[in-house]
Amino acid sequence: MAFAWKAAGLSYNRYITVASRVVRRSLKEDKRIAAERRGETELRFSKWENGKQSEPRNLNEANQAAIAEHAQSASS
Amino acid sequence: MSSLRIARAALRARPAAISRPILRRGYADVASDKIKLSLALPHQSIYKSQDVVQVNLPAETGEMGVLANHVPSIEQLKPGLVEIIEESGGSKQFFLSGGFAVVQPGSQLSINAVEAYPLEDFSSEAVRNQIGEAQKIAGGSGSEQDIAEAKIELEVLESLQAAMK
Repeated sequence: MAFAWKAAGLSYNRYITVASRVVRRSLKEDKRIAAERRGETELRFSKWENGKQSEPRNLNEANQAAIAEHAQSASS
Repeated sequence: MSSLRIARAALRARPAAISRPILRRGYADVASDKIKLSLALPHQSIYKSQDVVQVNLPAETGEMGVLANHVPSIEQLKPGLVEIIEESGGSKQFFLSGGFAVVQPGSQLSINAVEAYPLEDFSSEAVRNQIGEAQKIAGGSGSEQDIAEAKIELEVLESLQAAMK
């Protein structure tokens, strides 16, 4: 059984993140505000090269870029 | 849907018919006819190894009902409604964002999901608005990833809308 999201190059992790985000957004106002903060991540990382720290990057944004790149290389 | 409800009513009616006095006791009789249910989210556990009678799951392979002594299995869950029939006879419904259900030997059922809420916590207006937006993106000329994500959202929202009716 092939899932459409898998064919588009998305991971299960990304799939469940999107599905949960939309569930949180469908809640009634009071619950939604309390729940929506759970979807935020603020994890950052940086690479050390030649003893120097590179610019810290947001993990979520880096993941997004990696997925887009992966999808491009898969389709070409 | 109505045929499903009849089947469920029949399931519930059955234990009453079986409850005749036990004439002989072997160690198999000790086995309970309840499932120990754990429904866990990353931020909360809704059920913690609690005894329930039956759990209906929206598995990717189709709707399934789990009773005691179910064969061990692992099921991926679709975004959809989980129904839990409790010992008191009442039933509770939660909308799950998708996850996994693991049936372990000894009538243990663990459901892991990211979000689970009772239906009354959802706003039908928010669902309707989001369906409109997601349809626009899914039919638009965005990147393949944006379209795929919009389609995921549509799947969740349509399931939610159907459950709320």
